[in-house]
Amino acid sequence: MAGSNEVNVNESKRVVPLNTWVLISNFKLAYNLLRRSDGTFNRDLAEYLDRKVPANTIPVGGVLSFDHVDRSTGLLNRVYLRAPESGGQAAAAAPWGFKELEKPLSCTSVVPVIVFFHGGSFTHSSANSAIYDTLCRRLVTFCGATVVSVNYRRSPEHRYPCAYDDGWAALKWVTSRPWLHSGTENNSKVHVYLAGDSSGGNICHHVAVRAAEAGVEVLGNILLQPMFGGQKRTESEARFDGKYFVTVRDRDWYWRAYLPEGEDRDHPACNPFGPRGRSLDDLVGKFPRSLVVVPGLDLVQDWQLAYVEGLRKSGLDAKLLYLKEATIGFFFLPNNDHFYTLMEEIKSFVSPRCDSLQKA
Amino acid sequence: MGPSSTSHAGTGKLIPPFPPQTQLDGLLAGAGYKVRSSDLHLVAQRLESLESAMVSSPSHVVSHLASDTVHYNPADLVSWVDSLLSELTHSHHHPSNPSSSSSSSSTSPPSRPLPVDLDDLFSVPSDAINWVQSEMPLSQQPPPPPPPPQQLTVVTTMEEDSGIRLVHALMTCAELVQRGDLHLAGALVDEMTALLTSINTECGIGKVAGYFIDALSRRIVGAGSVPAPPHETEILYHHFYETSPYLKFAHFTANQAILEAFEGYDCVHVIDFSLMHGLQWPALIQALALRPGGPPLLRLTGIGPPSPDGRDTLREIGLGLAEVARSVNVRFAFRGVAASRLEDVKPWMLQVNPNEALAVNSIMQLHKLLGPDPTPIESVLSWIRGLNPKIVTLVEQEVNHNQTGFLDRFTEALYYYSTVFDSLEAACQIQPDKALAEMYLQMEICNIVCYEGAARVERHEPLAKWRDRFNRAGFRPLHLGSNAFKQASMLLMLFSTEGYSVEENEGCLRLGWHSRPLIAASAWQASPGPLPLPLPMGADDYWNDD
Repeated sequence: MAGSNEVNVNESKRVVPLNTWVLISNFKLAYNLLRRSDGTFNRDLAEYLDRKVPANTIPVGGVLSFDHVDRSTGLLNRVYLRAPESGGQAAAAAPWGFKELEKPLSCTSVVPVIVFFHGGSFTHSSANSAIYDTLCRRLVTFCGATVVSVNYRRSPEHRYPCAYDDGWAALKWVTSRPWLHSGTENNSKVHVYLAGDSSGGNICHHVAVRAAEAGVEVLGNILLQPMFGGQKRTESEARFDGKYFVTVRDRDWYWRAYLPEGEDRDHPACNPFGPRGRSLDDLVGKFPRSLVVVPGLDLVQDWQLAYVEGLRKSGLDAKLLYLKEATIGFFFLPNNDHFYTLMEEIKSFVSPRCDSLQKA
Repeated sequence: MGPSSTSHAGTGKLIPPFPPQTQLDGLLAGAGYKVRSSDLHLVAQRLESLESAMVSSPSHVVSHLASDTVHYNPADLVSWVDSLLSELTHSHHHPSNPSSSSSSSSTSPPSRPLPVDLDDLFSVPSDAINWVQSEMPLSQQPPPPPPPPQQLTVVTTMEEDSGIRLVHALMTCAELVQRGDLHLAGALVDEMTALLTSINTECGIGKVAGYFIDALSRRIVGAGSVPAPPHETEILYHHFYETSPYLKFAHFTANQAILEAFEGYDCVHVIDFSLMHGLQWPALIQALALRPGGPPLLRLTGIGPPSPDGRDTLREIGLGLAEVARSVNVRFAFRGVAASRLEDVKPWMLQVNPNEALAVNSIMQLHKLLGPDPTPIESVLSWIRGLNPKIVTLVEQEVNHNQTGFLDRFTEALYYYSTVFDSLEAACQIQPDKALAEMYLQMEICNIVCYEGAARVERHEPLAKWRDRFNRAGFRPLHLGSNAFKQASMLLMLFSTEGYSVEENEGCLRLGWHSRPLIAASAWQASPGPLPLPLPMGADDYWNDD
């Protein structure tokens, strides 16, 4: 492992608040226990240790949530909505605990719907993990969006392409819900964006490709510290290995657990613009514009920056938000500037004004 | 790191009790972890120590932490990290005895070193291993949790117009009933019955709507439901037991906890608050038979309703269990206590011996004691506490069906039972077993919807409320560990349908369907110290012989 342990601990403690350090270090150590060297994963213990929260149709902090299971796929989605203003007509019409799901989100304005894919390197966490439930609630609050969090199948039990299949199924489900429509009569549709952190970001890309190829409109992609990689070792991997909670070895483990057996990290799922990837110039006009957020202390950043390059080389619109002193997971707790910068960026990214500008 | 932050660590002193509005780090609480702000530095330091210890331990020792160690209450980070640290230290001091501190009674195999993978060898020479000085863990008392937001209903999206109309109608009807407008409510029942013909009654709300419409109409007419004779109830219970994992989960989890609590005792006594067919006990008897060091003497006291027509059903069940015990060489004694209501049971009837380890087991019974004032629950909890049990195992429905407002209760029940029925549908296709299981649930629905007052016994309340009650009655939680969790997960795999899930929540386990928790299992032990406040006036009668 690069660097002595003590040096690494000092480093990471310097750049994040103490409670963030405790949270992410706890995950790191627990995850170390769960990954086995033979490539299997201690799922039982992982589920036991994961802190989960139920959905709640009673608004808490102005956000209510409920779970929906798609019977045909068995896929669970957790939907987060802004609660109707208390005392308003909408609130009076909905009896306690019961959510009116017939009418669109709005007939007068556009309400963005963000399909969110949680992180966990394809292996950890669920839509009902506390950290992600909280994050989705914050997205609703800060960005005024409706969020649908997808409980995709995880590796190593379910390898590529299961997560992408589940993402695609969720996107189709979301875009076919009349009650997720918004906008005035001429423009009433589901205004959908894809967002995700870590493996969730990777899923966004691949689902967006599928959507573009199938002619399903996605208004934007938000990739938050997305998980990409490749066979060759990059400079950021060498420089940051083990320094800020993440090691190259654990990254390798997760790719080995997700990719088909025998494959290497130049598989296009991992390295979409690599030697086995492809240019997306045939999808210009169909593939959504992207917001890619790169933490400056993430060892994967060279791959994330290469991804942005790849999008641009294909003629696609990609905005890079590079947060110099941010580590992975900076967005879990709202106790740092990067968190608020991120929320502002996402908010303006999904705001209708940007959308119409793009079209003009 | 910060030497100044270690001033209170390692003293082993109990932290004095702090006020209920304790200073938990709010952001970590939102992530599911309970850490006091003042403990942040301490936890950080412990995490560092743990990491060092993991880095410098041989890989088979570290993997033992995952495979053989029993973990408890991961929300309490301080104690979780501490327990791992002491496991590692223990392994360092006794390298030939890796699994000795596991408190599980199941025989876990001694951990073997994993196949050597050159990539995974930590290249630290053995003489550089850090001996971790394990500090005394902080007080194990977790701070009382802030009241959770009311976790209420799960909404299933209605795909069909008729389905939505039916749900609207059900709510409206319930509201009319609450308002006392029975005439209009009755008219609505007719409409709903008609609507039923045009929706999918195979799943979701359509499935249960029929039962709720029926229950509403009985309430309106004032018919109530005809209570089933006890032996019929037992047959329905049996089918419910077979066709879904709920009761099996309850029994498995409770038995695991009881087994662990009985470790080291030669005379043990289990009191079962509702014996039924005694389905829970053969597994415990067999587990005790396999106990290293041999089985204890087991006494079982089963409480149940008096049998009609001169039979003694309790005794018959007891004889059957005695046969099981005999076949595995466990010394066993059974006693039946016949009582139509749990509150009629007096502690002296149970003949608890002060020298034995006592377990009190209540599977979906205590909620029956939450009836109207004077509600018997507190005095019953009080006499249970007075028996000084080693463990009280509690399994209850994870829902609030005890709200005073009829509409609230009705709504809650509608969504709860539609989830339960959904899960049954997926788990069991065999008729008539499924229909009989559904009838068992239908009895519960009827009781919740049709009755008020003393007749309404299905007064389910969620775990959060039971925690309060048990804490006030002088109990503290006995955390169910990752072993019990693992067993529960394995049990679920036997039900070949995906959708069931087990969750750990502050030392308790909850079984649910698609992330909606449906039943909760918890364990309790008597808090040390003086017994709780004296009983309210009039309850002294419970202690006097009749």
